[in-house]
Amino acid sequence: MEKLKQTGSAVTAAMFCLFLCAMAGLTFLLPKRTFSQQENRNLALPPKLTVQTISNGRFMKDAESWISDHVVLRDQWVQLKAVSEWISGKRENNGVFFCEKDTLIKRVEEPDAVQAEKNIGAVRGFPAKVDGTVYFGLIPTAASVWADRLPAGAPTLDEEAWIEKLYDQFPGTTVDIAGALNGHRDEDVFYRTDHHWTTRGARYAADAILEAMGLPALREEELETKVVSDDFYGTVYSRSGAWWVHPDKIETMVSPEGTDVTSNFRGKDEEGSLYVSSWLNEKNKYAYFLGGNQPVCVIRTQNDGPKILLVRDSYSDSLAPFLSLRFSEIHLIDLRYYRLAIPAYMKEHDIDSVLVLYGLSSFLEDSNLYLLKR
Amino acid sequence: MVFSTPIFLFAFLPAVLLVYYLTPLRWRNGVLFLASLLFYFWGERNYTIIMIASTVVDYTHGMLVDRFKRAGKMNAARLAVASSMFFNLGILFFFKYWDLLALTLQSLGLRFVPVLGIHLPIGISFYTFQTMSYTVDVYRGDAEVQRNPITFGTFVTLFPQLIAGPIIKYRELGDQLNRRTYTLDRFAAGVERFVIGLAKKLLLANNFGQLWDLYKASSALSVGGAWLGVLAFSLQIYFDFSGYSDMAIGLGRMLGFEFPENFRYPYIARSITDFWHRWHISLSSWFREYLYIPLGGNRCAKWKWVRNLFLVWAATGFWHGASWNYLLWGLYYFVWLLAEKLFLGKLLDKLPGIVRRLYVIVILLVGWAIFALEDFGQLGSYLAVMFGLSGASLWDSGVTYQLLSFLPMLLVGIFASTPAAAELFGKLPEKGRNLIKPVLLALGLILCTAYLVAGTYNPFLYFRF
Repeated sequence: MEKLKQTGSAVTAAMFCLFLCAMAGLTFLLPKRTFSQQENRNLALPPKLTVQTISNGRFMKDAESWISDHVVLRDQWVQLKAVSEWISGKRENNGVFFCEKDTLIKRVEEPDAVQAEKNIGAVRGFPAKVDGTVYFGLIPTAASVWADRLPAGAPTLDEEAWIEKLYDQFPGTTVDIAGALNGHRDEDVFYRTDHHWTTRGARYAADAILEAMGLPALREEELETKVVSDDFYGTVYSRSGAWWVHPDKIETMVSPEGTDVTSNFRGKDEEGSLYVSSWLNEKNKYAYFLGGNQPVCVIRTQNDGPKILLVRDSYSDSLAPFLSLRFSEIHLIDLRYYRLAIPAYMKEHDIDSVLVLYGLSSFLEDSNLYLLKR
Repeated sequence: MVFSTPIFLFAFLPAVLLVYYLTPLRWRNGVLFLASLLFYFWGERNYTIIMIASTVVDYTHGMLVDRFKRAGKMNAARLAVASSMFFNLGILFFFKYWDLLALTLQSLGLRFVPVLGIHLPIGISFYTFQTMSYTVDVYRGDAEVQRNPITFGTFVTLFPQLIAGPIIKYRELGDQLNRRTYTLDRFAAGVERFVIGLAKKLLLANNFGQLWDLYKASSALSVGGAWLGVLAFSLQIYFDFSGYSDMAIGLGRMLGFEFPENFRYPYIARSITDFWHRWHISLSSWFREYLYIPLGGNRCAKWKWVRNLFLVWAATGFWHGASWNYLLWGLYYFVWLLAEKLFLGKLLDKLPGIVRRLYVIVILLVGWAIFALEDFGQLGSYLAVMFGLSGASLWDSGVTYQLLSFLPMLLVGIFASTPAAAELFGKLPEKGRNLIKPVLLALGLILCTAYLVAGTYNPFLYFRF
């Protein structure tokens, strides 16, 4: 018996020492990644050892993030944690609910009332500052439209109540996007792994927008569905660590032919496109639509409809192709990067109407909407 | 540095173990001393000087006490003890309580004490208590004087117990500092204890912490939510604190030390008196030995005994943090302990075990609410909800969801805070135990690593919604 105990002790001690040494050795010796696809950020650089970085503590902080960022098998450890949370009965990880139908949905937190008040104040005063008609649309998240997929009793914001409350304070015309998406909640109107709406979801929203503006609805023969990727893992997936969920498809429904896109990614105008295929090889495949974040993007089409300006977030990237079927010019402005006054821009480009279109969750948190007061 | 970080586990610890065991026996204290200084310096930088100062002061005071005693100058020896206590309590007061005093005076309109914005040096409450015990023990003849400054420095700074205890009295460690034996069984027992502690912290405490976070600042608390929240906090603090003690004891064993136990399943206590014999034992025994008994303990007039009890529990409460709620928390236990000693204890003896345990649990839950909520306004409204005095609803759907989500972990936590798991494991045949143990430990270590790494997982998701 004594011998068996000795063996047990030896195995325990060896297991522990080997594990620590293997983790330490591999972490220090293996080649390092500079970028994490999974987390969509640059990983920490090695700490700089100087008297100054030691005395101000920079070295210690940097060393800690460096080790954490480069721990061997980092992504796999994160996934193991997610699955053990699931096994232990949790129906969420990292603020993401594990939902029915292979779906991941991010919880929407109670918003900061002060910021929300400031933002609606900025939008409320906007129609009086411009000549054209101003429309206002707020897009609920999947947590609201697909509430039936959430785990029972999952706490999340009452988004429809918030949208109603914000719409009540807006003097212009509002667009019932929630209604349009709710009417098709049995379809894939959101990605199962990303917070954005799908092309299909954007299409139903486009119908609601056109209806609010009194323009003719989209006709089936104008649309042709093509799958451009079946391997899209979005931001909600990354956050959740739920590796067992299947990837999403990305579709297009509108042909890019006849559109002329001017993008502005790096501070100067360049030729863009409704769809930028190179992004399909990246993690952030949603940037396929219009090529991702940019201050101003202008789409010119061959039809003779009115000119519209969108004050927008990234949801509009996949909406724009549908608008290209009814408007002659679509100007998309992102207030995070475009800091100038909108009324002047509208005069210069002879814009007929404005649509302020945001995801509810980003609208409530946004800190740039005050720019509408300029 | 904290034990449950990648840098400790995958850099500091393997490096220290490697260097430690490659070093000849007589230099190992030196290695440990340097490693401990690095461990402390890593997080506290300049404050390391305070710890070194405390070491130097108590080293010299110990020598002085010893010399005066040998020369028969008892008054001088006593003066040296007083001077050591003055120094230790002085730095503890200054770094821990100065700002609280200043802020409290300012709120009373007295502005002559400035608020200094002092950051609390980590572990100061622990190491000042340890070094004080040394000088007193030398004076009382309970411990030999330590003439080797490196060995004494190792005692004060010993990294396994430096920042969160257990509070080790010098005489409990003195012999081991001079000579300790290294066996494979002890090292393996250390690994076992360390992994158990790590799992308590990372798998249980952090989990319950998430649940408590949902309720501690909730604006729409229901009665059920308030009790669920404080239950979560009770489990969090137990597994967090006893987990740190386990890690300390485990690391100690890996380095050849045997530290005293700090927790003995406190939540199965049958009275509050019993609870305090099981919770943070090294602190209560420190106060008993260096405050309660010197004050006269219970071998004196009844009013003096009540006064002694009051002082000890006020000090115990206040030791936990520089905020008035900790004082209140200490006094809350003073009231219950006094009641048990005067009449409640006799009554409890007649009650069945289950009622006694229920009595303890309810008192503890209320106690933890006082402990956890530093702001009196928040505390008042939380307690009001707990006892249905605020008109809050009894239950809400969020509580159902959280309760269901956390139910398996809550059950595991409740089970793990009783001796049942250990007893069950003990019933296995010895052969089976010896085989299963390394497997369980390996699994635990792997899961802990997953939670550790995932804790630093920080996706950048602001693509713009």
